[in-house]
Amino acid sequence: MADKSKLGYEFPAHTFAVEKGKIVEFAMAVAQKDSKDKIKPIYADAEAAKKAGYPGIVIPPTFPTCLMVSTGGGLMEIVQTLGINLGRLLHAEEDYEYFGSICEGDTISGRMKVVDMYDKEKKGRPGKFMEFTTLETEVRNQRGELVLKARSTMVER
Amino acid sequence: MTIKFAELNIGEAIPSYTANPITRTDLVRYAGASGDFNPLHHDNTFVEVFGMKRVIAHGMLIMGIAGEAVTALVDNKNLRKFSVRFAGMTEPADFNDFENTKKRATITVSGKVVNKFEENGEKRVKCDIVAKDALGSTKLSGFFIAAV
Repeated sequence: MADKSKLGYEFPAHTFAVEKGKIVEFAMAVAQKDSKDKIKPIYADAEAAKKAGYPGIVIPPTFPTCLMVSTGGGLMEIVQTLGINLGRLLHAEEDYEYFGSICEGDTISGRMKVVDMYDKEKKGRPGKFMEFTTLETEVRNQRGELVLKARSTMVER
Repeated sequence: MTIKFAELNIGEAIPSYTANPITRTDLVRYAGASGDFNPLHHDNTFVEVFGMKRVIAHGMLIMGIAGEAVTALVDNKNLRKFSVRFAGMTEPADFNDFENTKKRATITVSGKVVNKFEENGEKRVKCDIVAKDALGSTKLSGFFIAAV
């Protein structure tokens, strides 16, 4: 059961270096490819990315999950900190708002916050509840520019 | 690569995207790439404790696949919002019974234009999207907003 006293809790500030190899690896994973030659050139080739208008190879849209998942000692520790039962944990919602590009060589950082914790009664099972926890992170780059707002909602079913 | 949204009307479908059947190898690759090592996605001895037959895909892998669908239509730098709600679990195809199990693991992302508007001095389009397996079961639904 999520620890409701954690509402408002802020994880320690977390910084993530956006390395080229990590972008390539992530782009291969979401494209289900086993070679960097099979993914879009903007994710693997700096020249191609520059031609497309980026300072260097750019991240896929869901790459910021890497920052959130490595916050607070990693996913397993996040779950422990919030008192969430790993065996009942599922991802309910994910929401990204983009304000600027994130590219290789950038350093992104943010403080993940617990912004909402609530229960919903299960359909057709009165008295049984699903517990939701919403985490929000404002992500800034090394120049202090706001590049992304991320919001994740987890559910214990 | 990108499509001309000016030529699409509200209510019209956007091109769909079908990913390869998801395998356990895809889940391991995604775990390593994302850092999400929840054993739910790779360890059968873990999921069996919770009464599940098989590991399931990361929801974020399905959203990542939806991201592939979206960035096939709009440039990454033009994406303003991308939001999903997860609706169902995805079991990977079984290596030893691939033909009979691949449909549950084959994700198609489709969508339609739902709004065209101006914000922050730019023209934007909003599209609803849905990801379903080849058996028709919904995995996620949501939307994206892009500058066009």
